[in-house]
Amino acid sequence: MTAVIHASALSKSYHGRAALRGIDLDVPGGVIFGYLGPNGAGKTTTIRLLAGLLRPTGGRAEVCGFDTVRDRERAQRRIGYLPGEFVGYPDLTGEQYLRYLANLRGGVDPSVVRDLAGRLDLELTVRIGTLSHGNRQKIGIVQAFMHQPEVLLLDEPTSGLDPLVQREFLAMLREVRDQGRTAFLSSHVLYEVEAVADMVAILRRGQLVVVESVDKLKAQAMRRIDLTFEGQPPLAELQAATGVREARASGPAAHVMVEGSTAAMLRVAAPHGVAQIVTHEPDLEEIFMTYYGQGATDDAG
Amino acid sequence: MLGNVFVKSLRDQRKALLGWSIGILALVALEGALWPSIKRMPALNELLASYPEPLRKLLRLEDFASGTGFMNAELFSAMLPILFIALGIGRGARAIAGEEEAGTLEVLLVTPVSAARLVLHQAAALAATALALGFVLYGAMLAASAVFGLGIGVADLAGATLAMVLLGVEFGWFALALGAVTGRRAVAVAGTSSVAVAAYVLYAAGELVDAVRPWQPVSPFYQALHGGPLGAGVPVAYLWMVLAGAVVVGATLPIFDRRDIAAR
Repeated sequence: MTAVIHASALSKSYHGRAALRGIDLDVPGGVIFGYLGPNGAGKTTTIRLLAGLLRPTGGRAEVCGFDTVRDRERAQRRIGYLPGEFVGYPDLTGEQYLRYLANLRGGVDPSVVRDLAGRLDLELTVRIGTLSHGNRQKIGIVQAFMHQPEVLLLDEPTSGLDPLVQREFLAMLREVRDQGRTAFLSSHVLYEVEAVADMVAILRRGQLVVVESVDKLKAQAMRRIDLTFEGQPPLAELQAATGVREARASGPAAHVMVEGSTAAMLRVAAPHGVAQIVTHEPDLEEIFMTYYGQGATDDAG
Repeated sequence: MLGNVFVKSLRDQRKALLGWSIGILALVALEGALWPSIKRMPALNELLASYPEPLRKLLRLEDFASGTGFMNAELFSAMLPILFIALGIGRGARAIAGEEEAGTLEVLLVTPVSAARLVLHQAAALAATALALGFVLYGAMLAASAVFGLGIGVADLAGATLAMVLLGVEFGWFALALGAVTGRRAVAVAGTSSVAVAAYVLYAAGELVDAVRPWQPVSPFYQALHGGPLGAGVPVAYLWMVLAGAVVVGATLPIFDRRDIAAR
């Protein structure tokens, strides 16, 4: 499958300060792609480069095969964009604003707009200036989704949304994916991306540290397993088993951290009579923190 | 129905236009109402003669004793140009830089609307607004002339009104262009205002200082006000104002098209 979003050596500096240092990225069609990283890692810069609002200082990017600089207008036709800080015209009602953008875009089905607004529980007859932050964010989401673009570029889309609306928004994302379209969303909190993304990229200080499917990341993840033995836990043997990173004993119980396959560890444990076994779901948060590394939260830019 | 950027931009100016119109109506009514008593002043000519020579030249006080000359000196030489230019600069700076600073520009640009089309629509809306205010001025002045016996000709008034509109459009387009290049409203306002002041100084100095006079025709104020504007007809020099504004806007199109758009 060809990539819907493609970046090669994509770089951006502001006044000599590098915000993005040569990113290579291919996002296939029909996926939800989570773009993760601490504040200032370069997430917004990447999204704004893809949207054609910034010009790369090095490398290039394509959306649906169109270069975001040379073929910007054609690329932008295929994009639905939600800025990190969405602002509408405060003196227009939601309906007026969305109709204006729909007119500029052309080919927007009014029933789609109504449907989206209904699902997000958005009041369209009120002036945007009088809306709460969360409700303004909903208008931003509707304008990004309403023309059913091939690619959605969403910068921290769930900020300000209450949990119920957030759930509806994630359902909307899944529908986009099921229709074969692509959603690229940034976040600095993992759990909201983990629930919905097929693939994630982790960005740190302007560089990608990993691009991987969520399933594979989970397979790599450390798994905590609690074993209760009939006798004394064979602690030394457990510690020596392949894949075991850490093993501790407390009474008849052993707490083991396993990376990857648990087969070797279980072979060692089985002869000693395992009375009970509890495995915990791998937590992406831990991988995430590993990749973030220490002191990765520089808040610049 | 907000069908495109031009219409949206016009809509944004309805209230401002109403305010400016009321101001113009009040100003014209006030000055017009003064005329009958000015005309009857027995010592008017002596009073005018007592003004310093440079002031008499700049404000064309020799013609003060006619309705046309009175309005040229009182309104068309300074007050009305300032009003139209203020309207143009305010609107021009807001058109791109204002939207960028507010944060509404981003979404607008990630549509099939190109950067160039956005600028052109805004430029057209600005011209339409200035023209609308021009119609208000024209109507008000015509009415004042009839009521207070100013004796201003219909064609003369049309030419003078056009001069005001073109001053507003030229400096407005300049502010629009400066805003599109810098993305900053304050820079657009301050930069254009400085240019306008410099242009006025050049015009005024040219009236008073022989050495400056050869440069005077470069000033938009000279192009707009020379020989009137009431009573000057529609000079070819008006074309320069449109042309200069259009060239400046045109020159910024490729720059705006290529520069980074600021996030809020």
